[in-house]
Parts: sequence; structure tokens; C-alpha cells
Amino acid sequence: MNSNKNTVSSLLPAGSKSRGNYQIPSNSAVLATLSVLATRYSTDLMIDIAGKEPKIIKGKNNEFYIPLTEKEFLTTVPALSEKGFVLISLFCVQNFEEDPDFTLFYIFRLDSSTDVFAFMRYVRRETTSIATVFPSACWYEREIRDGFGIEFTDAFDKRRLFLHEAYPEDFHPLLKSFKNGKIKAIKNPKEAYPFKKVEGEGVYQIPVGPVHAGIIEPGHFRFNVIGEPIFNLEIRLFYKHRGIEKLAEGKDPSACIPIAEAISGDETVANTVAFCTAVEKISGIEIPERANYLRAILLELERIYSHMGDLSGMITDIGFPRMTTPFLILRENIFRQNEFLTDSRFMKGAIDLGGVKKEISGEALSKLSLYLKTFVSQFESATEDVHTSSSLIDRFSTTGILKKKLIAPLNITGPIARAAGTTYDVRFDHPYGIYKDIPPERTIKIAGDVLSRFEVKATEVLNSASLINKLIASIPEGAIIAETTEFAISNIPDGYALSMVEAARGQNLHWVYIRNGLINRYKIRTASFCNWQAIEHAVPGNIVPDFPLINKSFNLSYAGTDL
Amino acid sequence: MQEPTSEVKWMVNPLTYVFRPKVTEKFEFSDSELETLGSELKTKVNRVFGHSLAIRELDSGSDNSTEIEISNLASPHYDIERFGIYFVASPRHADVLLVTGAVTLNMAEAVLKTYEAMPSPKFVVAVGDDACDGGIYKDSYAVLGGVDKILPVDIKIPGNPPSPKEILRGIFSLVKKVSV
Repeated sequence: MNSNKNTVSSLLPAGSKSRGNYQIPSNSAVLATLSVLATRYSTDLMIDIAGKEPKIIKGKNNEFYIPLTEKEFLTTVPALSEKGFVLISLFCVQNFEEDPDFTLFYIFRLDSSTDVFAFMRYVRRETTSIATVFPSACWYEREIRDGFGIEFTDAFDKRRLFLHEAYPEDFHPLLKSFKNGKIKAIKNPKEAYPFKKVEGEGVYQIPVGPVHAGIIEPGHFRFNVIGEPIFNLEIRLFYKHRGIEKLAEGKDPSACIPIAEAISGDETVANTVAFCTAVEKISGIEIPERANYLRAILLELERIYSHMGDLSGMITDIGFPRMTTPFLILRENIFRQNEFLTDSRFMKGAIDLGGVKKEISGEALSKLSLYLKTFVSQFESATEDVHTSSSLIDRFSTTGILKKKLIAPLNITGPIARAAGTTYDVRFDHPYGIYKDIPPERTIKIAGDVLSRFEVKATEVLNSASLINKLIASIPEGAIIAETTEFAISNIPDGYALSMVEAARGQNLHWVYIRNGLINRYKIRTASFCNWQAIEHAVPGNIVPDFPLINKSFNLSYAGTDL
Repeated sequence: MQEPTSEVKWMVNPLTYVFRPKVTEKFEFSDSELETLGSELKTKVNRVFGHSLAIRELDSGSDNSTEIEISNLASPHYDIERFGIYFVASPRHADVLLVTGAVTLNMAEAVLKTYEAMPSPKFVVAVGDDACDGGIYKDSYAVLGGVDKILPVDIKIPGNPPSPKEILRGIFSLVKKVSV
């Protein structure tokens, strides 16, 4: 270790927690070190615990891979949890590189460091669970069990996740031995899904879904209530499981763009940018500056219309249609702007490998900029109107509180986490594209209730609008797609990369593994996958009629979770 | 880090608004194509469906953009209740079932039950490319295919997703088809 006595805490932004006596090398290397802090910190931790330096493989997109023996893995993971690392994803790959069996990738991040790292654990048919140390691992492990048939022998929850009763018990779609195609579904399954049972005097259950009363996606909610107050909520999803990850396997990267767009319709741009970034990193494509700007403009437009839907939805769900109208009008106007710019109201087909598909002229951009001025003033007057209603504030305030202490263990991200006192935003913490140079403003609230979520989303709409204006003002001329794209994609080397994007709902993580020019494994983890578990914790203690409101204030994607 | 602000920063004393004059703002928007389509539709709905057409929407595995476009039909730019069309919460109240998305194995049972809960005569409209023929999921293990694999489909509205106006046109062709 270097002799310089700078501690990590002195390098972190004010307000971050101290991380003990960990030391980093001298000032000249400070910047370089800060960008790979999480990985360094974890490897030093391993030296302390295991007594030797692990092998570190540098990834293509500021991520690091650390292959571990089973013993190293088991001793290090509990320490990571104590030191505040966040498990942001866990996925399985069969036959990774030359391995005959399965490789589990545990992806971790640390507050205030821009890198992420993966612990690679080699397993066969059985392994052990880490869900008691990292609670967010629970769903991932169930997902891996369904997909690959790997048993987590000591897991506390071994129920199936995305494969419901219609699927045969020994069916594991992500195994390489399964060739995608129709299977024989089980008709009239005998066993029902075992929901958590709560019994006692006056306790009853309310089952809701998968088909709901409104025009929304399917999912099942099982409430346990005593009178009006809910004391337990269990959410069962994956009704919309369409087999997206398997569908991508064996396709060439450009054929995968429609699949990335279909992950979640209202996160089209975010997911496509994340997918394209991963492929671009693998093939070494540098996208032109103008394309970076255009991507960011579309990403922010997507954030605006998505948040607008949430804002109007929250007001609708307390039965206040008069107040929702201006939000609906403004949102439709944004959809029309999207169509004007990209020929698609959801900006489908706008992003392409190497940049963006269609040029957006300077004239079109100045029209957008001009419209946003009107938009902002009308939006401000609509939100001001909202705050004049005491009954609205009464319903929003102190409803559905998300506790800050849950955020790291469950990896909750996006505006809902920023409304509960955390700052995490992929655009700052792992900057990509143009956000490296032009960061957006941060918005933070601390109460974690519906009102805070409303205010964070409302402020983010304005921030996005001002960011778009800033981008339009400084967008350079030039190519919109890298010249080398076609050549690079047709000669793409074997490799893998991880990319993250801040979608409207939070951190979307994509991991792409390419072999022989084709997608071998495409792992997608949208923010909703993690954030759904936040709802289970935010709802208990509230009354049944507040559930739709709380659910809307989170407004998570079912499609993006179910895949 | 930004200093956290107080909770109800924008809360305004509501009393100041009690005495303010109440005005309704005019929504300056007109789309003659939509109006023509709407009035033709209304005439047909009046005749065929006794002045009101009740629609139940069902998502059987879409990417959620189709849901957004369908719910946009009720927003001020379209406001299709003017034409006698409205969305109902229960299949028991519905004349028409709008189904979006390739039917997933996990949803198949719920789709059938929803259809069975509707009173006859009943009609099914498949909305979006995936609902029409399975779309990009055609060969996936996880879906049955288009909605017609499981329900009798009367009209298909293609699109990824179809725009609100296209959906309205599709509903119009259903009403025309039924009235023959």
C-alpha cells in the first residue's frame, strides 16, 4: 500500500459515510483510483481475508471481473455486506468461455465510486444462497433456479419465480440444451402457488389480479388485512414472461434491437441505449459526439413522458380528474414531439448500433426547444395548482413510506429512492454518453412518501426539460452514426460487457456476451425488478384504498420485470 | 449533496383560492380527421350497440406501450367517451375485449377466464403486432402466439404500438363489421 495517508472518506463527497481505515495511493493517482474505487476496495478486503491478491480481469466498460474459488467467495461476501457494498445483479451463464458448467456473476457497486465489479463463482448443479446476507439475491436465485435448474440448497424461498404452474417442473429454458420452441404446457395444474399464509382472528386475505380493473398490466397482489389496514402484501409477477433473454440467444447483435425495445415499451430508448452501448464496447465502436447528444435528448424526453404519466396517475388514483387533465394534455404533446422527431411516439427504431438511426435536423431541435418553453410554464402552473389542494396533500403526505434503510439491501434505485433520501443516479455515479460532460441536476427528498415521490418526479420533469434545452444549445454538427459500425459489427470479437443506464424508473443493467459474432447470453435487469420489492415494504401499515395510489407513485414496469 | 428541503414546500394556503374566480380554460385543439371518424363511429354505435359500447382491456403479454396508447384514448386530445365508447372495469360489463400482446403461457388461463366472464354477444379485438400474430415472440417457448390461438378474434389492429387513432379506426371497423 502507498504511504500516503489519504483516507477514502476524505475523497468522497461531503455526507458520505467513512469507510474505516482504508487507504488509497498518492494524489496523482487519485482520479484514476476514484474511478475504480469499489474494485480496489473489494480486492484489498480480499487480501485481508484470504491473504492473497485475487486475479482481476478488466472489463470493457469500467467494470471488473474477479474469478474466485468457492472458499474465497464464501469468506468475502459477508464482509462486502458489512462494508456497504450493494448487490446490483446476479445472473448465470452456461459454458462461459471454456467452462463446462455454470458461472454465476455477482455484480456489486459501492456508493461514490464509478466502477462496478463482478465476483465470478463456478458452480455445477448445486450451490448455496447469499440471500440472508444480501436480501436482493432472493429473486435472482429463484430466477436462476427456474432458468438453469441450479438448486440453492439453503435458500429460504425455493418457490418458482418466472415459470408459473403451466410449465413442467423440470423445464429450464435458459439451458443451452433447450432449443427455443413451443413446449407442452400443463393444463389444469394441481398445485396452487403457495402464498405466505397469515392466520388469526379477524385476519382475511384480499387476492387481486392478475387482471385488474384499469387499463394496466397483469400482476397478482395478495393482501393480508385486519379491517382496513394492510399488514402484509405479497406480490406475484411474471405473468407477462415472454422469454426475451432466450429469444436473444443466437441472434446477431443488430437483430436484437427490436428485442431490447420490447423489454418495456415506455423504456424503449433507455434499454436500447444500454444494449447498444454494451455491444459498442465489445466491438470497440466509438460513437460520434452528435449521436451522444441526440441519444441523451431522447432519453430525457422518455423520462419526461414517463414521469408525466405517473404524476397524472397519482392524482387520478385519489379521484381528482380535474387536476390530471393538464398533465395528460402536456404528455400527449410530448408524444407528438417524439413522433415528430423520430416517427414513433415511443421512439422505437430511433437508436441504432453506432449512434442513432435518423438525423434530427437543427430546425426540428429548435422547434422542440421552443415547445419546451411553453411546456415548462404550463407544467409549473399545473403543479402549483396541485399544491393548492389540501385534500390532495392530505392523501399524498405520509402515505406509503419507503424507509431509507431498505434502499441498499434491496438495490432500490431511481426517483423512488431519491425521494427517500439517497442520491444514487446512474447518470452521475456511472456516467455514460454525454452525461460525463453535461450532468443533469440532482433532486433529493427525504420523507419517502407519495408526496416526496410526486415532488421528485415533478422536479425531474423540469430538470430534464432544462437539460434538453442545454443539449440543444450546444449540440455539435457531424455524423450520427460511427462510420466503422458495419465493419465492426460484422467482425465483432468474442467478448462481454456490462452497461447501465438511468431509465425513468432507475438503474437498468444489461450484460451482453458475444461468441462467434452472435449473442450467447443477454442478461437484462430493469430497475423495476428490484423496485417491486420496495412496494411490499412500503404498503404495510396503510389502508387498502391507498394501495392504488402507492402503487402508482412507484409506477413500475411489469413487462420490464417479467421479460 | 443538495440540502434536503422541507416536506410540503409548495403547500399554499387554500383559503386564498376559495375566493378566486373559477374559470375553465378552453382547450385549443382540433383534429378534423378524428372528429369525422368519431361522429361516424357514434352513429354506428348508437344503432348497433344501443348508444354505448363498453370495452374491457386485457394485457396478455404486451410491452406496455399498447396499454399506454389505449388509455390515451380517454385523454383530452381524444376523449372517446364523446363517441359513446367507454372502458369498463369488469369483463361482465363488456361488449368488446381489447387484447394486447402475444398470449403468454402464464396468462393463458386468465385470458380464457376473462373471455368466459363476458356476456354474449361478445367481440374480441387484437391490438398490436404481438397480439395479431405473436410478433417477435412468435417462436418463443413462453407464448402461445397471437390472440387467435386462444380466442375467436374479430378484428386485428397491427402496429408497434398502433397509435390511438389507429386503435379507434380498428374499433370502427369492428362496429361496421358487426352492423352488417
